[in-house]
Parts: sequence; structure tokens; C-alpha cells
Amino acid sequence: MSLRVAIVGCGKIADSHVAQIRRIPGCEVVGVCDREPLMARQLADRFGIARRFEDVGELLAEVVPDVVHITTPPQSHFEVARRCLEHGCHLYVEKPFTLNAGEAEELIALAERRRRRLTVGHDAQFSHAARRMRELVRGGYLGDPVVHMESYYGYDLGNATYARAFLRDPDHWVRKLPAGLLQNVISHGIARIAEFLGGDRAHVIAHGFVSPRLRSLGAEDVYDELRVFIVDERQTTASFTFSSAARPILNHFRMFGSKNGLVVDERQQTVVKLRGAAFKSYAEQFVPPIVFATQYLANTAHNARLFLANDFHMDSGKKHLIAGLYRSIVEGSPAPIPSREIVMTARIMDSIFEQLGDSASLAWRKEGVSC
Amino acid sequence: MSRRAAISAPDAPVLVTGATGFLGARVVASLMEHGFSDVRCLARPSSDLERLEAVMRAHHVDVIRGNLLSPDDCERAVRDVAVIYHLAAGTGEKSFADAFLNSVVTTRNLLDAARGSAHLKRFVSISSFAVYTNRDARSRRRLDELCAVEDRPELRGEAYCFAKARQDALVGEYGKARGIPYVLVRPGVVYGPGVTGITRRIGSGAFGIFLHLGGSNVIPLTYVDNCAEAIVLAGIRNGVDGEALNVVDDDLPTSRQFLRLYKTHVRAFRSIPVPRPASYALCALWEAYSAWSEGQLPPVFNRRAWHAYWKGNAYTNAKAKRLLGWTPRVPTAEGLRRYFESLRERGPRVA
Repeated sequence: MSLRVAIVGCGKIADSHVAQIRRIPGCEVVGVCDREPLMARQLADRFGIARRFEDVGELLAEVVPDVVHITTPPQSHFEVARRCLEHGCHLYVEKPFTLNAGEAEELIALAERRRRRLTVGHDAQFSHAARRMRELVRGGYLGDPVVHMESYYGYDLGNATYARAFLRDPDHWVRKLPAGLLQNVISHGIARIAEFLGGDRAHVIAHGFVSPRLRSLGAEDVYDELRVFIVDERQTTASFTFSSAARPILNHFRMFGSKNGLVVDERQQTVVKLRGAAFKSYAEQFVPPIVFATQYLANTAHNARLFLANDFHMDSGKKHLIAGLYRSIVEGSPAPIPSREIVMTARIMDSIFEQLGDSASLAWRKEGVSC
Repeated sequence: MSRRAAISAPDAPVLVTGATGFLGARVVASLMEHGFSDVRCLARPSSDLERLEAVMRAHHVDVIRGNLLSPDDCERAVRDVAVIYHLAAGTGEKSFADAFLNSVVTTRNLLDAARGSAHLKRFVSISSFAVYTNRDARSRRRLDELCAVEDRPELRGEAYCFAKARQDALVGEYGKARGIPYVLVRPGVVYGPGVTGITRRIGSGAFGIFLHLGGSNVIPLTYVDNCAEAIVLAGIRNGVDGEALNVVDDDLPTSRQFLRLYKTHVRAFRSIPVPRPASYALCALWEAYSAWSEGQLPPVFNRRAWHAYWKGNAYTNAKAKRLLGWTPRVPTAEGLRRYFESLRERGPRVA
């Protein structure tokens, strides 16, 4: 595999892209681009990248990359991605893919017309634990169909100083997103549900509010708590919980099928099987705890083996996603994340933000009235 | 007196960036003590003015809300000022990019705004001992400002060092190419009431237990009020343009002495002393593993860091004393007493 890669957007997340691309044999970052020339320079200097640009057009014309990773703030994803696709590049677009489903559909249609591959930065779905879970699901462990899913995505706002700095800075790019903080962070948790939903549409009920902690810091307009209920065309249901207040900070995905269940802990990188059938009588109180203990020990051993094999990096999911995209480009195989899933994720997010923005009950929520 | 004469009158407007921070607020207070009456502070809209409130109750301080990432805000802030004290910086806790953006890009914006000013007499850029490499210095040797600066600061594995080294270089370039009169002030470890962690020069609690890496090394402390005064003087003294000045106090404790005092006066905790050869071996092995594993463990411990922090060099403040007429007014014993007292009241945090 030999690909020439370029990075557009040289902020914090660009570091992990360059680091993981360099772990893929034969692939080289040949150019970086940022509107701020000093930012492009610092990334190029630190990673020994030959070319740096301030303008995307110049990057595309002079470096002629095979793949472009777009790591700019989400507001610019659509326009930068469109230009790159029209220039014939394959794309890795950081999450959230676009600001809305309409933009996502337009980019995907353009990519299909140009026969280019693209993916979105839902790298958590390619972590070791997530890939083990996927293998179990594909192997029929859950039974068919998936009955219900629960996705928990906790978010640490940091200490009060950091939280205040973010909350009081109206110019922060996250604050400028149409749906603010939620738009920047919930796609990981939504996408893993979307992967297993059927059809193209889902019914979504959303409830969002400001946590007491953020209220105490003076934020009345930054939703940091979200509860969502989702039903697809096959009556597969899912719940999504986003919380900055709940402890521990969970990053869980739970799936329940007609036969068995699975629990994936993204933070701890564990996969635990939930046996569908119960043991007889008192055995149900004594055997399952031993089975769970055994499973957790096996997870520990598995993670240790991965670490010793030098494949347990913090961004290992990103490396596997990038490698999957590059493989699909070289081999002409499907991209690692189906277009349907990207659009479904965007549609669910659109629906959530629409309800949070337009809900008639928003006023009483803001006033703190409950019933 | 002529040699100590100020380059600007006390009624000349001065700008302080980072004025809401731990050191910046003390710089503003020190400016007031030196008779400056027109002090302007640029503070982000998100910045808390809590640390400045004590000064603002007694003196008029002009607070301009703005962001150094905005060239327009920089233009507004530097208008007509005679001295710029540039303390705002990225701490590097988030990422290299974040530290660079909030240290180097912001400094460039400020310098661009300042170079058009006919009133500017000095740009005081706050650097750090973190930029020194010490690789070629013998252990135990006392170092001055001629000590080499990291040539590849990105290899230190420390965003703050990278950003500060690049900031220093940028200020030097602007000084040479565009004639901006500047001074680089390099404080050691600034401490005082308000600091809650223990500097990594003493050790690290990253592994769940505190590894004492500093041993018999002298810790280059500077009490916040002493440091603030040196910074103020660097902005007004004649004859220091283009200089780098180390700011460090006298009668400093060794790492072992500091830790003993800390445990006695603040909180007892378990620490494991790591001899110098062992700390070097730890750093070398960590660095090699990090490179071999392609970053499975980030290179936070490496030989460059060992040379800079744990090799055992001390620093002299002779140049700052000679050129600025500065002397640390708060003795180290008194500074440590105030520091430990504040930690007992507010609660310590071991790094």
C-alpha cells in the first residue's frame, strides 16, 4: 500500500492523525495546510513533513495527494471536503462529518459520482473492543434481530477553570456550532447505534437540559445533558445518554438480541457477554458472578497481550479506521463505514437538535420547572 | 542613578497580557508599587478577574476584554503603550498545538501590532528555564544565560517547552528584523500562594506513588512577588535590550530539603527516592520504548528532559541583579513559609 496523504487543519487532533498514518507502512504525509501559517509550520516541523500551505487549493494543486484528512473545525468540513473530492482526493473527515444530514448526503453523492472513498472519524468504532464486539454480532451471538441498544457517552468538562474558560468564550469554535457542545461530541455515541439500525429513517425523541454544575458556572444556554430514545423501521429500539454530570464517566455500548447480550466498555476496552439463558435455581446467584469474573480476567489478559504486541495505543481505533479506509482505496473494496450509517447518524443528530431547539417545553426546562 | 534610570515615565501607558494569571496579577500589583498609573490589561472574555480584584480595589486598572488570537484586539490593546509585558501563554496541558497557538501565534499577533507603534520602548517576553537544554553542561555546574536553548524542543516531549522555545525565537527574529526592542525574562519555578502542585523538577506522582527525582539538586525557585518585580524592572531599566535574564531567588533549598519541609508543614505522603543514575536509566529506557512502540507510551520521560530537570544544574541570578538592580525582596525561607501556609489552608495537590 502506497498513498500520499495531506492534512488540512493543524490543530490538536491533527497530531494523532499524523502519528497513526505514520504507523501504516508505505503511507506518507506529504503536506499540511492551515489558514494560520505558523500552525502549519509547527506541525510540519515536529513531524518532518516537507510541504506546508495556507491555502487548500495550493495544497491540492502542488502536492496532489491521494487522500486528504480534514481536521478543521466542523463548520468548514463541507466546503473543504467538496473541494478535495472535486480534485479527485479520497477523504477522511473528522467528526462530526458535516453540520447536517443534507450536507452529508451531498458529499456522499459527490464521492460516489467521482468514485472516491470517504469516511468519518468515528474511530471509537474501530477500537479493539468495538471490533471484537462486531465480530461477535456478525457471528450471530446476539441472535437476530437486535432488540435494543444502550449507548452511554460521558463527558468530562474538566475543572471549573477550564469549564468557565470554555463557557465564557463566545468565540470558541465549539460555541459557534449551531448545536454547540452536543454537536461536537455526541456523534461517537450516536454512530454506534446507527451502525445496527435498519432502514434509512428512525423515530427520535430527545430531551436535553443544562446540568446543575453548568448552571452554577453561569451557563444557561449550553446543554450538557441529553437523553434520546430511537426506534427504527424494524422496531429495533435504542437509548442514548450523554452526560457531563454522571459519574463514573461512562463510555458504554450495550446490545441485546433475541439470544444474548453484550456490553462494551470503551474506556476499559472490555467486552462482556451477557448470557441469555438463566441458570437453574440458586445457581443463577452463584455461577454468573464467577463467569463475569472469568470474562474480566480474560479481558485483562487480552489487553496485556495487545500492549506487549505493541498494538494498544490510545488511538489504535484511529489507526485501524485509517488503515481500513486506505485498504478500501487500494483494493477498491467498500469503505470501512457505510455511507448509510454516516447519513443515519447525521439524520438522528439533526432530529435531536431540531427538538432541543424548537421544543415547546424548552422554556419550562430552562426555568427549571419539573412535573 | 542614570544607569538605573527608567526608559519610560510612570505615567506612560503599559500593557500586561496574562494579567489575570498567578504571576500576571502580581506583575500588575508590582507596577502599581513602582508608581505606574496607566496600566492596561488584556484579558479574554472568559478570564476570571478574581486575582486582579485586590489590585483593582486600590488602583485604577484598565481591563480590555479581547483575545490575542485576534489581530484587531491586539491593535486595540497596544495602542500608545510604552511597554508591553507579555505573560499570556498556553500551558501545554492540552496539546502541542494548543500550547503553540496560545504562545506563539498570540505573540506573533502582538508583535505585529506593536511594530507599528512609535511609542513602544520595550517588549518584555516571559520565557522559562524550560527552554534550556543543559545537555552540554556538566552536572552540578551553575548555569547562566549563555546556556544553550533546546535546538529540537519538540523532542523534549513537553508542549510547554516547545512553545516557549519557539516564542523566544520569534521574539528574537522580530527584534532583529523589525527593530522591536525586547527583553526575554526567564523565571525558574515560580511559587507562592496559589500554586498547588509540586514541580516535576522534584518528582512525579504519575505512577500512583511519588518518585523523588530531584535528590540533592537545587530547585530554581522564585517567589511570585520577587519574580514579578524582576519582570517589571526588565520593562523599565536602561541597557537591557536584546538580553535574556534568568530570574531565580537566593538561598534555595535542594529537592530533598524542599520535600522534607513540604511533608512537615503541609502533608505527609510516601515518596521513593530515585538516584540520579536510576532516573537517567528510566528516562533513556522510556524514550527508547516510546520510539520503538511508535508512541504506545508518550515520550514524557526522555534524556532531554533528564538533562533539563534532573541532572543537577543550578542557575545564577547575577545578570538580573547586575543589569536590573533587582534583588529578591522576599527571602526563600519566608516565601516557603507563606507557600506552605496557603497549601495547608487551600489543600495541596501532588503532581
